[in-house]
Amino acid sequence: MSKKISRRDFLKLAGMGAATGAALTGCGPASRYVVREPYTQMPEYTFNGQSTYFATTCRECPAGCGLVVRTYQGRALKTEGNPAHPVNQGKTCARGQATLHGLYNPDRVTDPVSQSTRGSRDFSDMDWDAAVQVVADALSNTEPAAIAFLLGPAPDHLFDLVSDLTGAIGAPAPVRYGALSMFEARATLIQATESMLGESRLPVFDLANAGVTFSFGANFLETWLSPVAYTRGYSRMRKQEKRGYLVQFEPRMSQTAAKADEWIPLKSGTEGMVALAIGRLSAEVRGAALPRAFVDVDVAGVAEESGVPVETLLHLAELLAGAERPLAIPGGAALSHINGMATGEAVLALNAMAGNFGQPGGVFLSPVPPNVDEYHHPASLQEMGAFVEQMKAGDIQVLLVHGVNPLFELPNALGFEDAMKSVPLVISFATFPDETALQSDYIFPDHHGLESWGYQRIAAGTDRSTLSGAQPVVVPFYNTRATADVLLAAFAEVGGELAAALPFADEVAFMQDKLLPLVENKDANFNAAEINTFFAYFQQLGGWWGNQIAFTAPAQNTLNNAMTVAAPEFEGEGEFVLLPFVSPVLAESGANKPWLQEVPDPTTTVMWNSWVEINPDVGHELGIENDDVVRIVSEAGAVEVSVYLYPAIRPDTIAIPFGQGHTAYGRYAEGRGVNPLDLLGLKFNEAGDLAYASMRVRIEKTGRKRELARLESKIGVYGEGLGEEH
Amino acid sequence: MIKNIFGWLFSPLGRIALLIGGLTVLSLAVWGISLTQASPEQPIQFPHNRHVNFGIQCLYCHPGASRGPVAGLPTQTKCWGCHQQMQITETSELLKPLVQAVENNEPIQWVPVAIVPDFVQFNHRPHIAAGVNCEDCHGDMTQVTIAENPQVFNMGWCLNCHKEHSVDNPELRTKLLDCGTCHY
Amino acid sequence: MKPIDLNEMGAIGAIAQEAEGKWGMVIDQDLCTGCQACVAACSMENNIAFVGEEDASYGRSLQWIRIERFWEGEYPEVKMTPFQPMLCQHCHNAPCEPVCPVFAAVHSPAEDLNLQVYNRCVGTRYCANNCPYQVRVFNWRDYERPEPLNNQFNPDVTVRRRGIMEKCTFCLQRIHRAEDLAKAEGREVRDGEFTTACAQACPADAIIFGRLDDPESRVNQLSKPDRGYQMLEELGTVPRITYFKEG
Repeated sequence: MSKKISRRDFLKLAGMGAATGAALTGCGPASRYVVREPYTQMPEYTFNGQSTYFATTCRECPAGCGLVVRTYQGRALKTEGNPAHPVNQGKTCARGQATLHGLYNPDRVTDPVSQSTRGSRDFSDMDWDAAVQVVADALSNTEPAAIAFLLGPAPDHLFDLVSDLTGAIGAPAPVRYGALSMFEARATLIQATESMLGESRLPVFDLANAGVTFSFGANFLETWLSPVAYTRGYSRMRKQEKRGYLVQFEPRMSQTAAKADEWIPLKSGTEGMVALAIGRLSAEVRGAALPRAFVDVDVAGVAEESGVPVETLLHLAELLAGAERPLAIPGGAALSHINGMATGEAVLALNAMAGNFGQPGGVFLSPVPPNVDEYHHPASLQEMGAFVEQMKAGDIQVLLVHGVNPLFELPNALGFEDAMKSVPLVISFATFPDETALQSDYIFPDHHGLESWGYQRIAAGTDRSTLSGAQPVVVPFYNTRATADVLLAAFAEVGGELAAALPFADEVAFMQDKLLPLVENKDANFNAAEINTFFAYFQQLGGWWGNQIAFTAPAQNTLNNAMTVAAPEFEGEGEFVLLPFVSPVLAESGANKPWLQEVPDPTTTVMWNSWVEINPDVGHELGIENDDVVRIVSEAGAVEVSVYLYPAIRPDTIAIPFGQGHTAYGRYAEGRGVNPLDLLGLKFNEAGDLAYASMRVRIEKTGRKRELARLESKIGVYGEGLGEEH
Repeated sequence: MIKNIFGWLFSPLGRIALLIGGLTVLSLAVWGISLTQASPEQPIQFPHNRHVNFGIQCLYCHPGASRGPVAGLPTQTKCWGCHQQMQITETSELLKPLVQAVENNEPIQWVPVAIVPDFVQFNHRPHIAAGVNCEDCHGDMTQVTIAENPQVFNMGWCLNCHKEHSVDNPELRTKLLDCGTCHY
Repeated sequence: MKPIDLNEMGAIGAIAQEAEGKWGMVIDQDLCTGCQACVAACSMENNIAFVGEEDASYGRSLQWIRIERFWEGEYPEVKMTPFQPMLCQHCHNAPCEPVCPVFAAVHSPAEDLNLQVYNRCVGTRYCANNCPYQVRVFNWRDYERPEPLNNQFNPDVTVRRRGIMEKCTFCLQRIHRAEDLAKAEGREVRDGEFTTACAQACPADAIIFGRLDDPESRVNQLSKPDRGYQMLEELGTVPRITYFKEG
């Protein structure tokens, strides 16, 4: 234990010794009079003018990529991927790079605060002892059944701690939610996997070794499940001796579709039907006996419903039939329809027909992360709906929120904001002043991810059992405290027999306790004789992962039951189907990072704002031009947003990215763009996921114009004819 | 008319007044400039000469110079390593800030003397490796208390030395006279 | 009158001259997914300022690398051209160099790179107008990075101020760090020992950076004559970046 304390002291000293930023104004007198503070004590392994590197885990999304952060005199300068980490193997996405703009964000919550009335932004600072007391009182004075924890989507050490805590006091288990898991329709994917592969887990698609890949709306190059891991897979797929071939089925050309060899713009919600039709045709092409699953498929009817001509279906079937290692992937938007479950099963049936379960280039079950006895998954939107109902009914007296911003990440129609009014005490542990934090009674800010301890189980994206490790790379910049530490302290404060259930001095002691079972395991990237050495390696290497490639080969499924996918149903009135998609750059929590705001969207090159994508022909017909502000009206609500005439979207579909539209969350996010979740209704599919891709909307002109900042306008002016003819 | 207003300037007294006025402006300017060039106030009137005369090597306190870009300022633990054993630490007025800093565990706020503009990326290590001695640039520390720059660190001065060191080595000369060696 | 020695003036790019080059890059457009990780990584490494929505819509954003894409055809036969990362090509015969009146855009004879010497630059923007790749960006204002965002500044890279032209340096600070380390250890810089920020981040491994003068290096091993081309080859700028076509 003394080892750990000295480590903390070290970080403290590192921060205190941080050299004050040199004047950055050139050679004027100002730079003559800079002040330099040397370290009071030189931290271990630190040399003047040389960088120190720390391994940790990226907390920007739940994928859990390993990072190596360059620090210099106590400041974090640059994030790089951890080359040894099985998820990202040394690579990062734009969000991982910009995580430093979260750490050094000018709008962080700097101290524990209480708010006079919710939403008033009238905060008074507290000290941490008082904050711990507030939590302790809430835990001890409330009926345990009325205490609710709402956590972020990542299965991390805080989730374990809160699970143990709620278990000990008899409170309901913590609920985990994130908008990404809603957009990925994780519940549907997991249930479809269960029905086709026999186990309730996330599947892994071995893109790297696939010959021909049919992706039904899976935007795996953008935000889907584990984008960096899948991008690596994509890269290897293209680099195979025989270059892998990719076909993308979706109504709007996403970044992934732009990289595909063929883009099939089918009608939203018909992905499953098309999959079955291709299955049937490809069985016929091969001359094999038609599996029972496909006998009921009416190819002409599918062509009619989906808008994909029979010739195209036949061509795709031939492609699939002739492919060496075919693979089919069901994506989030395809599953987010009333018929989502059937769609998921239909797409997985293509894999079953190809016999690629457990084969290279096929479908696997995600390896079980270590240190877990059952598979946990984030709440589906239906489960969140039930949670909201509980709040409304007054069954929840204390709500503790960490790592998620439900007021932004849940559709308005669910009524979370209203339901919060029925909860007498809401405590937010947000690092940033997000919408939910501003509607709370207290904000007890957690450290930023780069200032925090922790571990995270990897749910998808690796070929081996992985527990990613996190450690502080810099000393906390503000007067923040780890939520796990606050809960442990509050629990100790409550005292009595209960406290004995969690007898840990701090979160590191808790983590070490949870890591104990792994110490024995010799078949991993490292092993050690006892926990202290083990923990040192765990920090140094950025986590623990098994040596064995642990792709489980699932039970072979038969295609003996006839499958059908019903035609998609749409809600509401209007000419257009709304397709909300996750902004690949901002996603659910990137909007407060100025550099992410200025990174152009990959397909439209728009920066700093929201847009609605409309087919140019439709635009001309309606007399709508680029940058016109239009009102998008659905049953559930309306938003006003600038138009981007997008050449690659079906005329019956419009698309709005999710990521902007914050009403809080700091100066770079607030009051910028719109949130498409405001337009969504409350229709769920069989697995309980929101049928978010099935809302009809209409467009109203406002007569106003608001110019979008685009990168391409610059190229348009200067770059005529740039690039080679292909 | 104009001549009437300024006519007094041409009288002998007027010329003297003009001279005095001119001198005042000039000396103010010189004073102002010298202010910007003077060594700024340091938290401790650090006697380099005494330390060097004790035989302490430059690299003992500024070890970064042999390793990388920054020579570095010593931590106060390093100062204290010697000073806690010395009588003078308790009695000297000069050392009070050090004692205070150590007691409160607060960093001493030094004002760097030898600095280059921000658009210059200077690295000590190759200079030491090339056999340049500390005093070649920083002057003789046996002669000064607070460090003083014996010369202005401007580009001409850098380049002169770079040229001298690469007279008979064209490849090195290319490297040492390349803009990108220091500016990026 | 003393004859002008173009070499000494750093205007060597004005003289058409074939050379092998020292540092180079290969960008595989078949692998590039347009994910913008390189753009973010470059900005973080090189202290690039963000300009805000208004200036961004004037085309004043300061990224040193951008991802281009164009449209071909009309719905439903529409296609997006392969994502094309565009950055300073580090031409051997760089059009930006001879037009600079103050020799701020100069060629580095030691590293065979195009340099931008910030302390010389007076902001005429001639170089940007003469760059066929449009990869030079100009600081129209002093862009604010409010406290404590400035804690993230990389001390190895100059923070630019208003009125200065800037562009990709091939992460010259990393080149120097690697060269310095190699020299300290008495060896040559090994290929793959370090890489640029963009190549390091690229999840698809579409960007490879390395030594052109080492036949064993990855950039040379990777070259695929049937797919490789250089941007605007016909201008004779002799770029140091080779692109691979899709397919």
